[in-house]
Amino acid sequence: MSCARNRTESVGQMNFGEIARKRLHILTILAAAFTLVFAPQAAMAQDAESAEAVVEEAAAEAPAFEHFGADMIKGQPEPGGLTFQQQYSPNGEYALWMHDAILMPIITVISIFVLFLLLWVVVRYRRGANPVPSKTSHNTLIEVVWTVIPVIILLVIAVPSIRLLAAQYEAPPEDAITIKANGYQWYWTYEYVDNGGFEVISNMMPEADALAANLPVQLAVDNRMVVPVNTPLRIQTFGADVIHAFGIPSLWFKMDAVPGRINEKMLTIEEEGIYYGQCMELCGARHGYMPIAIEARSMEDYQAWVLAQGGTISGEEEPAVEVEVPAEEAAETEEAAAEA
Amino acid sequence: MSAATLDHRNRRTMLIAFGIALAMLGLGYAAVPLYDLFCRVTGFGGTTQVATEAEADLAERLAASAGGRSFSIRFDANTATDMPWTFRPVQVTDTVSIGQRDMATYTARNNSSVPVTGTATFNVEPEQAGRYFNKIQCFCFTEQTLQPGQEVRMPVLYYVDPAVLDDPNMEGVEQITLSYTFHRAKPE
Amino acid sequence: MATTAEGFDAHHDEHAHDHADHKPGFFARWFMSTNHKDIGTLYLIFAIIAGVIGGGISGLMRWELAEPGLQIMGQIVEFLGGEGTFDQQGHMWNVLITAHGLIMVFFMVMPAMIGGFGNWFVPLMIGAPDMAFPRMNNISFWLTVAGFLSLMFSAFVPGGVGLGAGTGWTVYAPLSTTGSVGPAVDFAIFSLHLAGAGSILGATNFITTIFNMRAPGMTLHKMPLFVWSVLVTAFLLLLALPVLAAAITMLLTDRNFGTTFFDPAGGGDPVLYQHLFWFFGHPEVYIMILPGFGMISQIVATFSKKPVFGYLGMAYAMVAIGVVGFIVWAHHMYTVGLDVNTKMYFTAATMVIAVPTGIKIFSWIATMWGGSIEFKSPMVWAMGFIFLFTVGGVTGVVLANGGIDDNLHDTYYVVAHFHYVLSLGAVTSMFAGWYYWFPKMFGRMHSEFLSHLQFWIFFIGVNMVFFPMHFLGLQGMARRYPDYTPAFEQWNHVASLGYVITLISVAVFFINIIYAFVAGKKAAPNYWGEGATTLEWSLSSPPPFHQFETLPVIEDHHSADDHISPAPAKA
Repeated sequence: MSCARNRTESVGQMNFGEIARKRLHILTILAAAFTLVFAPQAAMAQDAESAEAVVEEAAAEAPAFEHFGADMIKGQPEPGGLTFQQQYSPNGEYALWMHDAILMPIITVISIFVLFLLLWVVVRYRRGANPVPSKTSHNTLIEVVWTVIPVIILLVIAVPSIRLLAAQYEAPPEDAITIKANGYQWYWTYEYVDNGGFEVISNMMPEADALAANLPVQLAVDNRMVVPVNTPLRIQTFGADVIHAFGIPSLWFKMDAVPGRINEKMLTIEEEGIYYGQCMELCGARHGYMPIAIEARSMEDYQAWVLAQGGTISGEEEPAVEVEVPAEEAAETEEAAAEA
Repeated sequence: MSAATLDHRNRRTMLIAFGIALAMLGLGYAAVPLYDLFCRVTGFGGTTQVATEAEADLAERLAASAGGRSFSIRFDANTATDMPWTFRPVQVTDTVSIGQRDMATYTARNNSSVPVTGTATFNVEPEQAGRYFNKIQCFCFTEQTLQPGQEVRMPVLYYVDPAVLDDPNMEGVEQITLSYTFHRAKPE
Repeated sequence: MATTAEGFDAHHDEHAHDHADHKPGFFARWFMSTNHKDIGTLYLIFAIIAGVIGGGISGLMRWELAEPGLQIMGQIVEFLGGEGTFDQQGHMWNVLITAHGLIMVFFMVMPAMIGGFGNWFVPLMIGAPDMAFPRMNNISFWLTVAGFLSLMFSAFVPGGVGLGAGTGWTVYAPLSTTGSVGPAVDFAIFSLHLAGAGSILGATNFITTIFNMRAPGMTLHKMPLFVWSVLVTAFLLLLALPVLAAAITMLLTDRNFGTTFFDPAGGGDPVLYQHLFWFFGHPEVYIMILPGFGMISQIVATFSKKPVFGYLGMAYAMVAIGVVGFIVWAHHMYTVGLDVNTKMYFTAATMVIAVPTGIKIFSWIATMWGGSIEFKSPMVWAMGFIFLFTVGGVTGVVLANGGIDDNLHDTYYVVAHFHYVLSLGAVTSMFAGWYYWFPKMFGRMHSEFLSHLQFWIFFIGVNMVFFPMHFLGLQGMARRYPDYTPAFEQWNHVASLGYVITLISVAVFFINIIYAFVAGKKAAPNYWGEGATTLEWSLSSPPPFHQFETLPVIEDHHSADDHISPAPAKA
């Protein structure tokens, strides 16, 4: 574990420094101040020395943005849980309904029915109860029945299943907010292409920091993916080195991040809160240590956060920003590659 | 059945079986060009189409008669981790009428101190748009070499096939993302 | 036995076998064997060794997962001479899961089912003196062994961050190409080549044997269902394995010779590798379970003292499963970025498989229905199989839905599903077959008490290991993680305890073998009584070294679905 911590921090620091210097200045200051009370941004406290001095003036000019604390965690596994996590997206709710109301009853009844038949033959047709075996080896009617009934059951399942698929593939509207989730060995970056193209680098939070902040170990991250709530999001995934998968159980959302191409899917989150996910495709030694944390905020909070990151609100982009931004990003990417 | 005829039959069955195995082996390798062909023809996986000027002209005329719906096109740029380039679209989104030729520009800069040759892969999302997305000219058709520090503008000339209006799978699609990824070209 | 001809019958007494029992010396017999029964025995011994290694690895995995945090990966890395850095520990975990998967699939289940039971009983059941190509049979076996050694060797050479191949058994590109430097992955791939070549030769041998070497009167529609199952399996092997061979050869050249089949930098596509792998991989899961279906059919009929219900339906259900198995592969790739029509097609096609599978389950129950069932150990294992396979099957129906799979893909729910059909399905059927045929193969009776004891301990143990994994998967725990957030601790702890119980059942299994060889009674030719009607029961236990030198003749009125001898029931 200790090695993970060191390693993660070193990556985090370097990337963090990069962001903080160029784009996250205001946020850093705010967050550093905030950290003193609430620790999710523990990692950011590194810059606290310079931050404390300017807290007051920064707070006065920038819209306030405070990250959610542990009380706002909505999507995470619960100890000893037996079924799906509660769902916070429309498709997730529909899928959960389909699982709970259709699939589970059907598979439970089938399993119990088979178990019952087995127990029945054990009791009724054991040698003591039925010394002379019958010779029946055909019964066309029953064979047709046990072929047709499963077909009907499958049709019953197929209708909502196809409907669910269609809903999941609904295309996002033109003005959906586009966020790219890029998988690297072994961290995620979130690129806000509609908001000036800034990039957030997200590493797993060291265990001690997570415990201190009362956040779930191995799910908590240093920089969350902040998104607006109740707004269609166009999530695009890309794998920079090997295949990763961007999966958040409580949003019923999973999409591979494949090198050489992007994948896209719409996501709408219905409640403000924090939703945890993890990489879901084997990607090497630290596959288990690149969690995902989505923080869904009101649009106003989201925009405040974007501005704090040095981003722009859609419609206000200026080409100048775009030309400037990529240079740093590529530099970061390069450094990340060198680091890896 | 004598031993000789059994041996003969066995050998024949074995050869047929080996023939099947070899055919499947061949099919395994043939899958590479076939998959490529399949993707190009059907747009599977969001593979874009390549069009000539003549086809583009035809599409434009067809579109004119069909009346103009338009699409928003999003331009996406990625680099593989081992690629020391900055690669960006000049414009993140653009609106284009169906059938209308349009030019998009990307910029690429080599941040390293050595010349680097790059090759681009691409796809569109949603995937079903692939068969309607036609490129007339693209920097992705050939490898690009950039000298240290050199920055170039890379154009793509494309149009959206009017046939897109007839595809029920494209209903509700308002924006098509055209994505490129630059990789360091493999040394020959 | 009614099914045999006059010339060769069960009444042979031991001393009459001079010629038939002339065996070569030890080395020639076991290392250059061309005898299907000896090769079958070799395969079974090999599968048991591989199973102990693969099962031992799963023990390390359950130990690691018993609690949050890394427990033992560091010690394992240091034991193997590494520094034990964090990345090496994570890599070691990946090496273990990769080895566990490959060993269990290619070197435990397949050798035991097809190589072991198939070699032993296909020739016996169809009345053939041996396999069609005895020497090729020998090559198949030793190729499998060589493959296993190559895989073992890969664990001791560099594979990227640490020693060994940590790519998962699926060996997805680009993790297996640019993502894993060092020769370990090459050796792992080479191991699949060797095992695959062995299996293709074996499949050819089985197909030829079953088509050409059947005794007079043994038509295809009279063949025992176990033979049917091996025939279908052999075709699946023949059609699926070459595709895997092509895919992994391309991986090798991508790794070593600069080709770019799966490398986007050269115009390749990593997703194509997944298509090719799963075109092989899905039939592969049926390769692992179909011979089990066959064995369960024989066992259920034997102990119910009834012919198999719906024989033709049973045979063609297996054919249907095999055929449909080739057109559903992309349900393993639902999250890779398929378009909506593709995903809908694979959802529908996958669900279709439930129909022939259901036919098999209900036909087994119908076979028992009206029977006079004796609960000897193989029957208990067979009934356990039917239930456990049903549970594994219904979760497969859940996963078949592309939209539902979006949340379950690559979680422990999938792990639970495929272990229910394989670890609890295929392995249970193998134990059923083992106790069914053990005295036939080795001439000594096992202890029925120990067999029953093993069943109940095993049943409790494996359910404790794998049932909680459904909960973990539903809660979102990802596969292939050496460590987890504390919320997952409770069920992981239960699963690890279940492993210990399963381990006890394995100990009982070995004690039973020792008991049989030390104190087991000599087995009669047909120790299961009148329900056992296939040809192997007409021979002594163990059968003579060479059998059926005069081919048995299967009489007309004894078709496979009506082959009860007219003798009165014993009771």
